[in-house]
Amino acid sequence: MSSGETYRVRMSGISKRYNAIQTLDDVSLVLRPGEVLGLVGDNGAGKSTLSKVLSGAVVPDAGTIEIDGMPVTFTSPAEARAARVEMVYQDLSLCDTVDVAGNLFLGREPRRRIAGISFLDKKRMHEQTRQMLDRLGIVIADTRLKVENLSGGQRQSIAIGRAASFEPSVLIMDEPTAALAVAEVEAVLDLIRAVSARGVSVILITHRLQDLFLVCDRIQVMYEGRNVAERLIGETNIEDVVNLIVGRKFNARSATSAYRDGAPA
Amino acid sequence: MSDVTSTHSAQSQRVRAGTWRDAVLANGSVVSIALFFLVVSVIFSVATDAFLTSPNLLNILRQSAPLLIVAAAMTFVITTGGIDLSVGSVLALVATLSATLLQLGLPWPLVILAMLALGALLGAVQGYFVAYEGIPAFIVTLAGLSVIRGVALLITGGYSIPIEPGSPFTVLGRAWLLGVPAPALIALAILAIAYIAFNETPFGRYVTGIGANAEAVRRAGVNTRLTTLFVYVISAAAAALAGIIIAARLGSGSSNAGQGFELEVIAAVVLGGTSLFGGRGTIVGTVLGALTVAVIGNGLILAHLSPFLTPIVTGTIILIAIWLNFRLFRGAVRSR
Repeated sequence: MSSGETYRVRMSGISKRYNAIQTLDDVSLVLRPGEVLGLVGDNGAGKSTLSKVLSGAVVPDAGTIEIDGMPVTFTSPAEARAARVEMVYQDLSLCDTVDVAGNLFLGREPRRRIAGISFLDKKRMHEQTRQMLDRLGIVIADTRLKVENLSGGQRQSIAIGRAASFEPSVLIMDEPTAALAVAEVEAVLDLIRAVSARGVSVILITHRLQDLFLVCDRIQVMYEGRNVAERLIGETNIEDVVNLIVGRKFNARSATSAYRDGAPA
Repeated sequence: MSDVTSTHSAQSQRVRAGTWRDAVLANGSVVSIALFFLVVSVIFSVATDAFLTSPNLLNILRQSAPLLIVAAAMTFVITTGGIDLSVGSVLALVATLSATLLQLGLPWPLVILAMLALGALLGAVQGYFVAYEGIPAFIVTLAGLSVIRGVALLITGGYSIPIEPGSPFTVLGRAWLLGVPAPALIALAILAIAYIAFNETPFGRYVTGIGANAEAVRRAGVNTRLTTLFVYVISAAAAALAGIIIAARLGSGSSNAGQGFELEVIAAVVLGGTSLFGGRGTIVGTVLGALTVAVIGNGLILAHLSPFLTPIVTGTIILIAIWLNFRLFRGAVRSR
C-alpha cells in the first residue's frame, strides 16, 4: 500500500533448508491482481518449493507472506485454501472412474435431504458443471463421461476448472502443459487466460518456455534457490530466458531460430 | 437426458461414437453377467422340470438371502480396493452366540440388536487396522477370519446349539409374508438400501473415489479413513444379519456355519463386474452374480448331478466371465 500499489501476493525473505541443502535462500515474489506470472528455473531451482510455501504444503524457515496487504502464515493447505490460494497439482488428483461432474464437485457435492439422509443432487450437479465448463470455455460433450475416457488436455482442464471453481484469488499451476498434445496445450493456455481475465492471479510453473510468451505478463527466474531475474514479457525473449535459467551464455538450439518467430507475444 | 442429447448433436461424430462406446464399456461387465445368468437359467429350465416353478424360485431366494446381503455389503469393501475375508467367521460367531443367548433366556429382539452391534464392532476393529494403521485388508481380515471362527468354536466346543422351535426368533428365517419367504424380503430391503447408498449418496461416491484415487479424495477434504473404516462396519454387520437369518432358518447355531462363505461372496461380487483393484463396482452386477452362483447350485441338484460339481462349475464360470470381460470389454475391468 505504501508504495502506492496493491499486491495480491507479496512474499519476501522466504528461506527453507532441507538438511544440507538450502532449497530457498531469501526469495521474494510479488503478484498483482489478475496477473499471470511465469516461474521458471532448472530442476532443483526451488520453483516447486516456493509454490508449496504459498499453497501451505511447505512451512518456510524464515520469511513473510502478505495477501492483499494482510500478513498470513500457512501451516497447512487448508489454511491457504481458506485464504483463497488454490493449487493444481501435477498429478491432477482426479478419480478416473468417477464422472466429470463428480470430480469437479468431489468433497462438496450438491445435496438434498430426504428424511434426514443426504443424497447427491445429481441433476443440480450436472447443471452447475455444465455452466462452469461453459463459463471457462472447456469443451466436454457430456458431464456424465468418466474422467478416464477423457484426453490429457481435458483432464488438465477439469483439474484447473475445479481449482478455479473455488473462486480463488491466487491459482498456482505446476506444469499444466507437460505431456499434452499441441491442440490441448492451446486449450489449457486459453483456459489460463480465461481464469486470469476473471481477476484471478496465476502462477505458472513450466518448462515449456514458449508457453510463457503466450500467457504470462511477467517472468521470474530462479537459480539454485535464489531469484536471479525478473522480466516483463515484452522486454525479453526466449534466448534471454534460457540464459538466465542456466546462469550463463548458452547457445541452446532450442532457443534459436526454430522458436524465434513465435517467441514475442 | 434431453440436454445431454442436444449437446451431443452439436458435437462431432467422433465424440458421439466415443460416448456410445463408453456406455457399453461401463456396463459391459453387468451385461456379460446378465447373459451368463440368463444362459444358466435357460439351461436348467430346459434340463429339469422343477427349476422353473415358483416354489423352487422362492426357495432359491430364501437360501441365497445371506449371500445376497453380504455380497451387497462386500461390493462396498471391494470397491474401495479392500477385501473382507472374515464374513464367514462373523456369520458363524453370530449364529452360535444368538443360539446361546436365546438359551440363556434373553428376549429375542435384544439378541438381534446385540448381534448386529457385535458385527458392527468386529467390523470397526478390523476397519481401524485397515484404515488408520495402514495394514493391508487381506492380512487384517485373514487374522479376523481365524480369530473370530476360533471364538465361535471355543464357545460351543464344536457342538451346534439348538434354538427352541417355538421361539419368535425363528420367524426371521422361516416365515412367509405375502407368499414370499421372510429372508428374501429382508434381502430385498437390504439390496434396495445398498443400491441407493452406492449410487445416490455422497458416501457411495467417496467409496468409488477412494478405490480410484484415495489421495485425490483426501485432498478434496473427505475423511477417507473414516469412510474406509465404515465399509468394514457395513460388511461385518451384514455378515451378522446373515448369521441371524441362518440360525433362525436352521433352528440352531453352529460354529461350523459359513465355512468358505467369504469365497462364495467374493466370487459373486467379482462375477458381477466389481474390480478387485477398486474404483469400479455395481450393486446390480453383484445381485446377478450372487443369483448366478445360487442358481448353479440349485440347478445341479435338481438335475440329479453330484452337488460336488457346484464348485467346479462356479469356478469355471468365474474364470470365463472375467476372461470375457477382459477380451470383449477391455477397459471395463482394466487395472489402470
